[in-house]
Amino acid sequence: MNLFTSSILLTLFMLTTPIMASSTNFYKSNKYQHYVKNMTLLAFIISLIPTTMFIHTNQETLISNWHWITIHTLKLSLSFKMDYFSLMFMPVALFITWSIMEFSIWYMHSDPNINQFFKYLLIFLITMLILTTANNLFQLFIGWEGVGIMSFLLIGWWFGRSDANTAALQAILYNRIGDIGFLLSMTWFLSNMNTWDLQQIFMLDQNSSNIPLMGLTLAAAGKSAQFGLHPWLPSAMEGPTPVSALLHSSTMVVAGIFLLIRFYPLMENNKPVQTMVLSLGALTTLFTAICALTQNDIKKIIAFSTSSQLGLMMVTIGLNQPHLAFLHICTHAFFKAMLFLCSGSIIHNLNNEQDIRKMGGLYKILPFTTTALITGCLALTGMPFLTGFYSKDLIIEAATSSYTNAWALLLTLIATSLTAIYSTRIISLTLLEQPRFPPLMSINETNPLLINPIKRLLIGSIFAGFILSNNMPPMTTPLMTMPLHLKLTALMMTILGFILAFEINTYSKNLKYPHPSNATNFSTLLGYFPTIMHRLPPHLVLTMSQKLATSMLDLTWTEAILPKTTAYIQLKASLLTSNQKGLIKLYFLSFLITMTLTLLSFNYLE
Amino acid sequence: VSLVHINIIITFTISLIGLLIYRSHLISSLLCLQGIILSLEAPVTILNSHFTLASIIPIILLVFAACEAALRLALLVIVSNTYGTDYVQNLNLLPC
Repeated sequence: MNLFTSSILLTLFMLTTPIMASSTNFYKSNKYQHYVKNMTLLAFIISLIPTTMFIHTNQETLISNWHWITIHTLKLSLSFKMDYFSLMFMPVALFITWSIMEFSIWYMHSDPNINQFFKYLLIFLITMLILTTANNLFQLFIGWEGVGIMSFLLIGWWFGRSDANTAALQAILYNRIGDIGFLLSMTWFLSNMNTWDLQQIFMLDQNSSNIPLMGLTLAAAGKSAQFGLHPWLPSAMEGPTPVSALLHSSTMVVAGIFLLIRFYPLMENNKPVQTMVLSLGALTTLFTAICALTQNDIKKIIAFSTSSQLGLMMVTIGLNQPHLAFLHICTHAFFKAMLFLCSGSIIHNLNNEQDIRKMGGLYKILPFTTTALITGCLALTGMPFLTGFYSKDLIIEAATSSYTNAWALLLTLIATSLTAIYSTRIISLTLLEQPRFPPLMSINETNPLLINPIKRLLIGSIFAGFILSNNMPPMTTPLMTMPLHLKLTALMMTILGFILAFEINTYSKNLKYPHPSNATNFSTLLGYFPTIMHRLPPHLVLTMSQKLATSMLDLTWTEAILPKTTAYIQLKASLLTSNQKGLIKLYFLSFLITMTLTLLSFNYLE
Repeated sequence: VSLVHINIIITFTISLIGLLIYRSHLISSLLCLQGIILSLEAPVTILNSHFTLASIIPIILLVFAACEAALRLALLVIVSNTYGTDYVQNLNLLPC
């Protein structure tokens, strides 16, 4: 009997307390924000207890609380699965959320609805934790939809701006398409395995699990912005920076990947789905890295970087390495959140300027942010022995030394070097050279509410990879031997990218801005994907349905075929053949007299 | 032969005469047409104790009668739209 179950339930319950306090007067005071932040901090500390227990004694728990409903043979209850994935993810998520909440006290300081903002962030966190700790698909779906809704509310936080509303709606629509896949797999599991519990699903050995796994892949593609369902992620940068940092870099977008990781016992036996996931991930990572090269909004570059890393995680799952993908989720969260916080610091200090063409020379002005930004970018590209190295390098090693699709591998390697290129772009355009913003800016980063979160995430970005890799129990045998050139692949590609970027940077610094080439247009307009897909299919579908429903069915089949045709023919025929004068009474009278005479004559004729 | 029989035949004849001889309003002729239909339907609907399997016949008759009534009223509406009233002496021009 130990503290395991109580700590978990206490963590989850503690996070709901500020929401319950939102109906009181406390909600309107200024202390609510600090209260929420402190609650998250305490939840983080308490969630370290079960994690430590798991690391030391490999104790996993399944908490099955409350039996909700039994429909025929399906029993649904409130159950939490605390295993490797959820126990390692909870502290990471809580730590990052704590830092982001402290940051957003500074960032959203002048917002009148700041308490509501914190409440939304907290509800998002709770639904994300529900998602990760869910043991049955129903609870997972609750968390899934919950994060989708909170994403909508938070992206559209400044709802007076029409771009924000469009982006929020776009997020909901694309997520919905993924939800179709989720529902498909839920239905398949219900009808074939009679359960939504993960334990039973993994126990029953199914030969062909193609349909549910493809459904789950579709769900992951929708939620994690894979190619084809990706445009919502860069558009989601319309939300405030803390929202981008929390939702669209660390937590929500990994929900799709998390779902696929959860189902790894099914995936490791199904080669076709693995190949599909691999190809999708490779395509995503390369495409979004290309798109990130020529963006001009700093948040969009980081968003595309997130999308590229998500593609990399998909590639890892496609290589049958779910634990490595999970490690990448945890490490990626640190430096990506930090990158967003740094960009938030820059944006706020430059009076809401987000275009990197109008930033510059911040190297000496914002030293701390500069440090964090450069460290984050280096961690992102996989600089040896920073955080990103421990997961990204391992992924590339696993990819190069496994019997896999060479095309997918090639795309991933190219995307790795492109990562270095756009990171260099961010650094050189925002930090180096002469300032390009208006001179009268009051720039300071002395507020501890800004410094402390970035400091914590900075320490995390440097050390978390080391700490996590050494403390996570190994679930697969790591790859120990490989040829030297394969081991150095990731490093070589990254260095190649850096060299290329610096070279291009130096010789194009002082030239006249050239007319954009076709390739540049392709990259800046996101591969023409949103332009085509947001206009052409809806237009086609709507005109087709209008032609079918209104023109063909209503107007033609039920109106024009018989009635109008008959009327027309009658009209023309009567015009042609009639010479009546409309003496109706006379005609009726003559009819009557004829009838009477006929009846009489036939009666008396016999 | 029986009284019911004669009753129905008289209904039919009176309605027929009313349909063919009317003074000014078109609507009275249409009313009499409805009376004809009624006189044909009532025996089939009510006096149906010999062959209950054929009790679909009055329903079908009623359906057709209803459609006819709708058509009649539509015609009336068109006439009334054009002329304002339904006097028969207006219907002496083919408005094409």
